[in-house]
Amino acid sequence: MSHQIEFHGVKKVFGEGADAVHAFGPVDLTIHQGEFVSLLGPSGCGKSTLMLMTSGLLEPTEGQVVIGGKPVNGPQTDVGIMFQDNTLVPWRTVRGNIELQLEMRGLSTAEYSERVDQMLAAVHMEEFSDRHPYELSGGMQQRAAFCQAMVHTPGTMLLDEPLGKLDAMTRERIRSDLQTLWMQQRPTVIFVTHSIEEAFQLSTKVAVITPRPGCIERIIDVDLPFPRDFEVKSSPEFSAHVREAQEIFRSYGVI
Amino acid sequence: MASFDKKPYFAALKVHLKNSWMFVVFFVGFFLFWEYSIQWFDIPRYILTPPSLIVEKGAADLERLLYYTYVTGFETLLGFVIAIVFALPLGLAIAFSSVLKRTLYPFLVCIEMVPKIAFAPLFISWLGFGLLPKVIIVFLVCFFPIVLNAILAFNSLSEELTLFSRSTGGGAWRTFLKIRLPAALPQCFVGFKYAAINATVGAAIAEFIGSDEGLGFYIQIVTGNMRPDLAFAGIFFLTLIGLCLFGIVTIAERLMIPWHISVRRG
Repeated sequence: MSHQIEFHGVKKVFGEGADAVHAFGPVDLTIHQGEFVSLLGPSGCGKSTLMLMTSGLLEPTEGQVVIGGKPVNGPQTDVGIMFQDNTLVPWRTVRGNIELQLEMRGLSTAEYSERVDQMLAAVHMEEFSDRHPYELSGGMQQRAAFCQAMVHTPGTMLLDEPLGKLDAMTRERIRSDLQTLWMQQRPTVIFVTHSIEEAFQLSTKVAVITPRPGCIERIIDVDLPFPRDFEVKSSPEFSAHVREAQEIFRSYGVI
Repeated sequence: MASFDKKPYFAALKVHLKNSWMFVVFFVGFFLFWEYSIQWFDIPRYILTPPSLIVEKGAADLERLLYYTYVTGFETLLGFVIAIVFALPLGLAIAFSSVLKRTLYPFLVCIEMVPKIAFAPLFISWLGFGLLPKVIIVFLVCFFPIVLNAILAFNSLSEELTLFSRSTGGGAWRTFLKIRLPAALPQCFVGFKYAAINATVGAAIAEFIGSDEGLGFYIQIVTGNMRPDLAFAGIFFLTLIGLCLFGIVTIAERLMIPWHISVRRG
């Protein structure tokens, strides 16, 4: 099954009449299967709104989202979702939380046991599988949350600022873990972020979003080899991309 | 779940004593002050009795006190359990039904303002001196905190977890069992604890008004006979019932939600 995601004139307005807030769009965008696309923009520009509409958890006011040739009507189950505040529950261990995703879908935890081990190893969390979330640092919690969001091998990943609450150093490390996971499984990813550097490090494409109402100002193809480490980040091509995005935001008075 | 109990039992007890010695000193000091202030200030015995005399006279009347403790304890426990049995499903129904939330919920909030104990004389007149009116009063006292906290509990699931469960396509029942119910338990226990603290109030008041046995009856009779020593003994056993009920709820809480911050910090 293809996991190409298409947005056809997608627009969202909250409320009605005089109180209506035009939050987002209209937007046209096509994300090919296996691509890692970042929605890069300042807070309040409707990035999360677009993500929720993609997952079918929020209905667009106008237009249509199409995944794998099928229009999105209602919640999509072949997706993995992650938010800034993770969905780890305090009454389960790290492993139990990952298994929650499987149990909710009626999948056998025994069958996935090996996969859970592999994923925990990929994010350096093997030793913490029996710990509860509150025993872990914020960074470790987000690593566990990545595993929870990906354990059922979704074709599409929707990541809404998953690193937003972490300190700069932890972000750096988890970014590379995230990249490893993505390169292993190659799902189609929509990654919401307001970090310019993060967007260009991780993505094959960056959609630069301007605020109120959120609109895609430019789509920048990032043609740099994976995995992208510090070497790539200090390359002139990388700096040029970063500067391009910065100039757009500066012209809109965002930075 | 055993991983929560990392400290050996005796070490935990030692830490507990180390942290609470000031309280123990204060507690003992309070009773010593009570004991001797009666001599110092020359307070008549029919007004206040020293703790030593309460223990002595209470022990002499222990048989009656224990039986009445059983009577009142049974009323309290029965009313409390029935309140849980009715209040939890009702709270759940209100939390998940928009119609009930607009009709029954505001009605319950209004009724909550009425002091339930004020109904006690009516229930006694309707239902007589037996067990039933007492259980109903205890039930009324316990019912509202449990139902209101249950509604709050089942409506407080975080936005993220709500979206997460919808994205899994897990269905209402699975979402309830695996996410909503465990997430709601801590707030439910707030209601249980509040109810447990107030349950004995209901039982005692109901017995004051119309009864021929139980601790409330006992306290009223001995006070009429100018025996504050025995009244205090009755109050002691009434307190004991409340403590036991609260203890049971606390133990259940520790077993059911050992992961919750209130238990971990406890």
